[in-house]
Amino acid sequence: MEVSFALTGKDYVIVAADTTAARSIVKMKTDQDKIKILSPHLLMAYSGEPGDTLQFAEYVERNIRLYQIRNLYALSPSAAASWIRRSLAESLRSRNSYAVNLLVGGFDTTTQEPHLYWIDYLGTMTEIPFGAHGYGSYFALSLLDRYHDPDASLEEGLATLKRCIDEVSKRLVVSPDRYKVKVVDKDGVREVEL
Amino acid sequence: MARRYDSRTTIFSPEGRLYQIEYAMEAISHAGTVIGVLATDGVVLAAEKKVTGKLLDLSSSKEGGYGGSGEKIFLLNANVIGGVAGLTADANSLVNYARTAAQRHLLSYNEDIPVELLAQRLCDLKQGYTQFGGLRPFGVSLLYAGYDPHYQFQLYHSDPSGNYSGWKATCIGANIGTAQSLLKQEYKDDITVKEAISLVLKTMSKTMDSPTLGSEKLEFAVLMLDPKTKQPRAKIYKPAEIDALLLAEGLMKKDEDTEMKGV
Amino acid sequence: MSRSYDRALTVFSPDGHLFQVEYALEAVRKGTCAVGVRGKDVVVLGVEKKSVLQLQDPRTVRKVVMLDDHVCLAFAGLTADGRVLIDKARIECQSHRLTVEDPVTVEYITRHIAGIQQRYTQSGGVRPFGISTLIIGFDPHDTRPRLYQTEPSGIYSAWKANAIGRSSKTVREFLEKNHKDDLSRDEAIKLTVKSLLEVVQTGAKNIEISVMESYGKVTSLALPEIEAIVAEIEREKEAEAERKRSRLAATAAGQAAMSLRAGDAGGTSGQ
Repeated sequence: MEVSFALTGKDYVIVAADTTAARSIVKMKTDQDKIKILSPHLLMAYSGEPGDTLQFAEYVERNIRLYQIRNLYALSPSAAASWIRRSLAESLRSRNSYAVNLLVGGFDTTTQEPHLYWIDYLGTMTEIPFGAHGYGSYFALSLLDRYHDPDASLEEGLATLKRCIDEVSKRLVVSPDRYKVKVVDKDGVREVEL
Repeated sequence: MARRYDSRTTIFSPEGRLYQIEYAMEAISHAGTVIGVLATDGVVLAAEKKVTGKLLDLSSSKEGGYGGSGEKIFLLNANVIGGVAGLTADANSLVNYARTAAQRHLLSYNEDIPVELLAQRLCDLKQGYTQFGGLRPFGVSLLYAGYDPHYQFQLYHSDPSGNYSGWKATCIGANIGTAQSLLKQEYKDDITVKEAISLVLKTMSKTMDSPTLGSEKLEFAVLMLDPKTKQPRAKIYKPAEIDALLLAEGLMKKDEDTEMKGV
Repeated sequence: MSRSYDRALTVFSPDGHLFQVEYALEAVRKGTCAVGVRGKDVVVLGVEKKSVLQLQDPRTVRKVVMLDDHVCLAFAGLTADGRVLIDKARIECQSHRLTVEDPVTVEYITRHIAGIQQRYTQSGGVRPFGISTLIIGFDPHDTRPRLYQTEPSGIYSAWKANAIGRSSKTVREFLEKNHKDDLSRDEAIKLTVKSLLEVVQTGAKNIEISVMESYGKVTSLALPEIEAIVAEIEREKEAEAERKRSRLAATAAGQAAMSLRAGDAGGTSGQ
């Protein structure tokens, strides 16, 4: 029952994901970080088939880092997201494909704009103001339709996120009890407590 | 045996030199000059065309493509133009490689290739030909004039060894000594495209050792930002446009008749 | 047949030399000088920076590069070869992290680079890399600074201090005379600058210094900092020369007095 959310606001992107590692109906642990920091201004929340997610996330992490070491600057969020999507699309057409769903959020330091991309395991990509993967999306999207404001301050953005999480706790049969929340803005990436 | 280290493919001479590379550079120093100048709001490239014969038909190049005759200046990608000096056949194959590399980047990252990265891609290929495969190096130097959001307008130079570096103003080909010192004298850090165009043409007329120029001997290109979209846009001048430009700059070759009248 | 490209270019000569490797070392000796100095808990990399031409963009002239967060490399020799080898090393650094979830150790990446260099002395139709490298860094979860060198032949070795490139022999001899164990940060930087000044006549503006103090903590010194160190070294040299002069003057005066007395004595004896 994985849940991940992301939303943009004024000059920031918030990415949140549950921290449950589960197998079948058993919770293995509840403090797993499912949001990778890919570069100083780039976050990626991943969910899906447990083995695939980690394998793919690490592959992405290392390649994005390699680009940064080689060129002395990091990929822009849109370029990174395009590369990630392409990797997934190529994987889909191989013998062993990754079943991974992603939310990629970043701050473009050249244009000073936040960007958020929704990518699924079929290689679909779209830029969005807010989005979700997993069961959370059934409950959160309507809330986000109602409450999301692209010019909201970080506090307001976090409050909107809190609404989504509360709704999931209220309605989902087996809801995760803990979330990790990370924010990316012009100062880089940081974790916040809700 | 005396030519042991300079007649084979690229291997080290006892002094640690790679003669094949040095000879390749020698070949370039006879080629038509290419001058590049970086301005605050754009980059300017000009190239000297060597006219091989009076009967050479250049009419087909007048209309088609991006302009120019496609001999010295090429559009490598939407955001990069390249000027080449050296063996034309080698240059064609490098231009093709550059365009492919740029498109590969576009395919992977959905963005225009950063200018330095494109220069690196070509230099990696050039370096390869100096180290393995038993082939000779590419006899081509290039100037890359481009734009990307990371470092804005840029001008790079690469040579047959696979070295590259960034420049404010530089040149490749024949007579570069003259051109380089002239550029050094005249270049200002806050130069605009308009001034850069005059500087390039003036320098070109000095290196070509003729007070007047004509479109049959010159290729010309400018890369600037589109005022509306703020995206880089290359303009490779068509012969008629070059002549118009030269006329405006007072470097146009006069008609024989007018010259006669002048006397 | 001798021209066929699949033949190894690097072959033994009758007296057991690998000439191509030795000639590659000549290319290294033509390169700009680089110095590495290991201190107590710091390691310093200094390079001679060729004067950038007036119209050249200094950003694109890179002699010292990061391979990963904690490993830094300087090279001497053919720049294009350097760029290609560095790229291979950078890929290995990330690939290693991906495979074993740990950053590379400095020795590992040195061995990897040396391994690539070795392959290019033995494969068909290739010439060796015309570069030597100095590699500095800290291993993960370790406080000991590391300094390694690789050569075109594929040899790699650990050093307390070493130099590659132009006049490296002079600099190495200087380091051998002046290096002490357990140098502090400032001492290590000073020794690096001092040894570079043995070959770099033009002073601070042609020197680049990178300092690594712990895992992932790298700083490169700004020009004024290097200028201050150069000035300090010059003052010391001046003072040293002054002392020498006064000592010389003192001995000369002493000798003069002696000879004067001797002259006196001679004079008396002559009478």
